[in-house]
Amino acid sequence: MTERIKSLLDRTFDKEQAKFRRDVDWKPLLGRFVAEKTPDEVRARIGLEEMLKSERPEFMDGERLAFLRTVRQIPDLHTDAEMDARRATGTAFGEKGVVFNMTADFAPTIRDGLGERLGEIDARLAKCRADGDAEGVEFLENARLSVEAVLDLVDRYRAEAEKRGLAEIAATLAQVPRNGARTFHEALQSLRILHYAMWCEGEYHCGLGRIDQYLFPYYDADIKAGRLTDETALEELEEFFIACNRDSDLYIGVQQGDNGQSVMLGGVTRDGKTAFNDLSRLCLKACGELKLVDPKINLRVDKTTPLEIYELGTELTAKGLGFPQYANDDVVIPALRRWGYELEDARDYSVAACWEFLVPGCGMDINNIDAVSFVGALDAALRNVAAASSPSFEDVKAEFKAEVQRRADALVEKYRHVEILPGPFVSVISTDCIKKARDISKGAKYNNFGIHGTGIAVAVDSLASVRELVFEKKLVTLSELVSLLDTDFAGRPDVLAAAKAAPKMGNADARADDLAKWLIDFWGHAFDGKRNDRGGVFRPGTGSAMYYIWHTRDVPASADGRLKGEPLSANWAPALDVPVKGPVSVVRSFTEPDLGSVCNGGPLTIEIHDSAFSMPDGVEKVAHLVKFFIDRGGHQMQINTINRETLLDAQKHPERHRHLIVRVWGWSGYFIELDKPYQDQIIKRVELAAS
Amino acid sequence: MTGRVFEIREFTLHDGPGVRTTVFMKGCPLRCAWCHNPEGQSFETETMTRANGERVVCGQDWSAAALAEELLRNADIMAQSGGGVTFSGGEPLAQAGFLLEVIPLLKKGGVQLAVETSGHVPLADYRAVVSQMDFVYQDVKLLNADAFRRWTGGDLALVLANIAYLRTSGVPFAFRVPCVPGVNDSAEDRAAFDAFAAGAKIEYLPFNAAAGAKYPMLGRKPPHYLASDA
Repeated sequence: MTERIKSLLDRTFDKEQAKFRRDVDWKPLLGRFVAEKTPDEVRARIGLEEMLKSERPEFMDGERLAFLRTVRQIPDLHTDAEMDARRATGTAFGEKGVVFNMTADFAPTIRDGLGERLGEIDARLAKCRADGDAEGVEFLENARLSVEAVLDLVDRYRAEAEKRGLAEIAATLAQVPRNGARTFHEALQSLRILHYAMWCEGEYHCGLGRIDQYLFPYYDADIKAGRLTDETALEELEEFFIACNRDSDLYIGVQQGDNGQSVMLGGVTRDGKTAFNDLSRLCLKACGELKLVDPKINLRVDKTTPLEIYELGTELTAKGLGFPQYANDDVVIPALRRWGYELEDARDYSVAACWEFLVPGCGMDINNIDAVSFVGALDAALRNVAAASSPSFEDVKAEFKAEVQRRADALVEKYRHVEILPGPFVSVISTDCIKKARDISKGAKYNNFGIHGTGIAVAVDSLASVRELVFEKKLVTLSELVSLLDTDFAGRPDVLAAAKAAPKMGNADARADDLAKWLIDFWGHAFDGKRNDRGGVFRPGTGSAMYYIWHTRDVPASADGRLKGEPLSANWAPALDVPVKGPVSVVRSFTEPDLGSVCNGGPLTIEIHDSAFSMPDGVEKVAHLVKFFIDRGGHQMQINTINRETLLDAQKHPERHRHLIVRVWGWSGYFIELDKPYQDQIIKRVELAAS
Repeated sequence: MTGRVFEIREFTLHDGPGVRTTVFMKGCPLRCAWCHNPEGQSFETETMTRANGERVVCGQDWSAAALAEELLRNADIMAQSGGGVTFSGGEPLAQAGFLLEVIPLLKKGGVQLAVETSGHVPLADYRAVVSQMDFVYQDVKLLNADAFRRWTGGDLALVLANIAYLRTSGVPFAFRVPCVPGVNDSAEDRAAFDAFAAGAKIEYLPFNAAAGAKYPMLGRKPPHYLASDA
């Protein structure tokens, strides 16, 4: 790392950039919108204009890539009362209602420049006017103004840079993003501005997609022309990655760090060729040197991926970054095909904020619209069956399956009609919106909704426990067991001990794994034939998002011996406190089901003790473990390198652990910035390789 | 014949190449004052009481066929990674007869084999097992017979005789020295160990003072230099 980068890194980590920030009170603007009943499209455009007008060009000493946030707040475009009124009429929204959790199609605009987009808008506008397409006219007019607002700030940045003698920045901004990028440096600056503008428009969880693919032509041309070496290219990339951490504390998320700045590396190209290249390698290297939480690296692999690439990824794991998260092309691409994605698009997949697979630029999927609580469904099912006379275990399974289906059906009803608030600027940098003269919020090529499944391992373990305790050992009746769940097994320590000793997922034990296979098979098809009113499908997954914390509030103790309030495991992972043989058995258990039907995403999440990497071949061994998971048909995997004692010490002395990074549910964050329930859940996760 | 095992640990990282499972055999002829696995000393099954009051039986008897079947469940990833099974303990060679039943079953399953031994076993047992290993970790604790007897209760001559065989066996090996403060960690000790290795691979294992926690679980007092409050 060069001195300049080291200095930028330290100052960014210490939030020097915060000194440029100020508060803006957006209430008057919102008041005006309400009073004038301003339409959504106009609000979105004016919001962006006002936000960018309020921004002041500022520069950190020594930077070559400009743009940072000086206004803390993004304007609210609707009051809560307005949104509540719309919800009351039966309209559903995903989270805050705006475009989010997606990745724009940055490549064409980096290549052509926003000027080219303006030309296309004007041509299309003329046609819409001629055709009398009022909606098209309105979209395109707002889109045009949003682009001009971005270019206006770019011009002010350029003028300020000139004034301050920052000639290189001024020259770069004279070229991009108005015109196409000619160099790797210009491409990075253009990307920085487009991404920055999305956040200013109010979009959030804005992914970066396959940067090793769309930036490669610039990198490659510069290397070939001798304008760049691998050292200078690394420096460029590192500056860009640092910039991703500059404003991130202003971004919206459930927890600090949950900001969706995902990057996908490797995999295959749209025509099916190996895509891992020198730039992919450089990205991994840059992350390894910087040790920052952003951007969050994902790595696509398949059966043919050489161990060396897994080892490059594991070098980051060893540094405790919580990424890369691996995705398996052999499973994900066919899964996307089954959901209707075209082959070339499926090959081009990336991830949303966490692990939900999407196709950059042409997806307006809402990948995390809701979740089914498997623990809640099983609890309800056990109560229903317990009321029957002499129930069998088959009755329990049938009722559980029916209950999950009822909950799935309810979600289909709830989200049949979803509205998304418009984003004129993000539409300009997404595929075909100008051509169609429609905002991306009205629908894109793919409009699928993702449904998470929470607490799968706890539900499976509980079923295994019910089978053993009630129907095999006959230790208790089903109705006795249900009563015990309400009292945390009060008075029956023998039943609690037997529940804890019953078969568990993660030990390669068929007595639990057979139930997991059965569950995944029906969950993967729970939405077959169902569509939302945008024509999209519902995609089930194995992710939990934050629901693994939220859903514990709604359920009593469970039959696996988990007491009320004890957290669920995140994602696709063994239940907490389950004694497992080790990570090989965990991988074996969690690759027994056919994961191709649950590819909304949701990784096997395992923890490895940091001492694993004290031996020189620790990286190779962990790389073999990941490869084993992929070769066995795993869909997605992430690894936390942690040390329980360090985490406990960090709770006591946060000031000593400012750089401590952990993987939370689908993203890496700074441990000390998490709320305590999330910290505690991580501490409870099993450390699988403590030797 | 059955073998007595006190732990089977998956994905061990310090016991040889590749992805490995380590089998900890119960019982040891030595009583090293610094022992980190006191539950591996007695050949008898014991009950350990955890701090939370939970009682666990330490020591399971396995038939060779059952143990081999259990270990070979991971034969695929062992083959993929050039890994295998490591026998540790306790003193694994103290159950040489049992190991000699398990070894051919594991070899048939295509996994690499290693052993970690004090070498304090009859030469015939040592030779029979070691000759079939892909790798041997041979402990070297002390090089003075009196000190060896004082700190471990054992006979150094027996260990040295086995090491003499090991050096000529053609089986790849490394010496491992558990570094114990005030016992064998001086600069002179280090020089003597290096000279003893005579160019063979030698690893110095750092002392872990927090390893005394298992003694109270067995109702025993930890050695004074091992903390029990880990």
